[in-house]
Amino acid sequence: MAESPMLRVDDLEVRYGVIEALKGISLEVREGEVVTIIGGNGAGKSTLMKAVSGLEPVAAGRIRFGGTDITTLAGHRRVALGIAQSPEGRQVFADQSVRDNLLLGAYHRRASDADIEADIEAQYARFPRLRERRAQMAGTLSGGEQQMLAIGRALMARPRLLLLDEPSLGLAPLIVREIFGVIRSLRAQGVTILLVEQMAHQALGVADRAYVLETGRITLSGTGVELRRDPRVRAAYLGDH
Amino acid sequence: MVVLLQALFSGLALGGIYSLVAVGFNITHSTTRTFNFGQGEFLVAGAFVAVSGLLLIAGKGVTDPLEQADVSMLAYGGGMLAALVIPGILGVLLYLTAVRPFAGRSGLAWVMSTIGFGVLVQNTALAIWGPSPMVMPSPLGGEVIRIGGAGVLPQEFLVLGASIVVMLVLDTVMRRTRIGKAVRAVAENRNAATLMGIDVSAVVIGAFVVSSALAGLAGMLVAPITTASVFMGLTLALKAFSAAIVGGLDNPRGCMLGGFLMGLLEALVGLWHAELREIAIFLLIIVVLVVKPEGLLGRRRVEKV
Repeated sequence: MAESPMLRVDDLEVRYGVIEALKGISLEVREGEVVTIIGGNGAGKSTLMKAVSGLEPVAAGRIRFGGTDITTLAGHRRVALGIAQSPEGRQVFADQSVRDNLLLGAYHRRASDADIEADIEAQYARFPRLRERRAQMAGTLSGGEQQMLAIGRALMARPRLLLLDEPSLGLAPLIVREIFGVIRSLRAQGVTILLVEQMAHQALGVADRAYVLETGRITLSGTGVELRRDPRVRAAYLGDH
Repeated sequence: MVVLLQALFSGLALGGIYSLVAVGFNITHSTTRTFNFGQGEFLVAGAFVAVSGLLLIAGKGVTDPLEQADVSMLAYGGGMLAALVIPGILGVLLYLTAVRPFAGRSGLAWVMSTIGFGVLVQNTALAIWGPSPMVMPSPLGGEVIRIGGAGVLPQEFLVLGASIVVMLVLDTVMRRTRIGKAVRAVAENRNAATLMGIDVSAVVIGAFVVSSALAGLAGMLVAPITTASVFMGLTLALKAFSAAIVGGLDNPRGCMLGGFLMGLLEALVGLWHAELREIAIFLLIIVVLVVKPEGLLGRRRVEKV
């Protein structure tokens, strides 16, 4: 059981027309791990997340989740298997209330109303700002609040694997700290996370393991600590010169 | 005054028809950014399927003349079911053959293919029922009701009542229910909806079923007022489309409002100068498009990166 990883990606290729966004990527995420993928703009990080969630068709390679081949499985079915994502740019449903956004996160679950309510409460406890704004349209929230909502919404799916795509994007440093605090506490609760980030320093700080993605290829991998010490990573992503 | 009241009633009834069809445009447009340019022929299908359904219930041939005695309220309900189901099925076929192959691609292939599908429906209707209109008696009879001196057709009440009920139900479903929220999620962001575990393809097919069924219902409701004709679709659908543009194609309530506005405008201007009806409608469209391009209740679209 323990030896087969929860998520396993083998030689994954994704193309947009003639452009090869991912050129044969292999990685894995084991149960209970926080794994991060760092890399610059256009490296293919979001493409990878989309491919894992089934939003982008795969040109070659395989994606396996919990031993099942999900390479061609429809995106909405992957949610039912246990993959939830907080996508890049939040993508909350602006026209719907905070509460309804959270309810949509639990859309696939056949749970009782009481269970769903309890989980909504849990998100409000995790993000007290969302409780204050529960009746507000999500489009009126600040960027940081929308990010909290996007994470809360993904957690409402009760995922086995949580994908976080650039949760710090465009947020003020204070909010970024708060978001990473939440990632830490999720990690402490044993939630398995695949985190894609441009903020390499913070990401490597919470991650058990990390991969460096550059123009569609994985160029480095190791534990978070190892990569933080790696001179190439320091030069390219941690601002050391 | 009496004439005005009369025009008001028929304007509202006609407006109800436009509203139903306009909301149908909204439903598919918000979920797929496409709609059925041949929607008018689905009204035709609804009207004739209902007439034939009523004839079958009365034990007659499907193209026999329909008598008032054949149209009981119960039989009318049966006809209505047929006018919802058959166009609904046509909606699935339309989506699979004329929309899905082209939707999301650049170009306007779907415009031509949906018009083509409509022509197919119309010609099939022509082959079955022929070019001459069929009379469809109202289940409430043809006797004019006097209200404040104004003569109102009973069917006009039925049309108005039915369209209001249907739209209230739709509005409530979209705002209050789990499925309605899922449909709105798909309308706003398909990828994000998929990440919620929503089956976007199923929602989209559902949108075409509902839109087509609404057109079928509208065709059946309007038939006793205008008589069922194979050629009635285009004008009705064009005005319903105008209603959607005026009210705001992306807002279901805007489409409803636009429909009633169109109906009232048409009836009131017609009172004054019948030949100016169409001119007034299209003038209104031009004015609205200039002053508020997104429609009265529409929201300005922000292009997503």
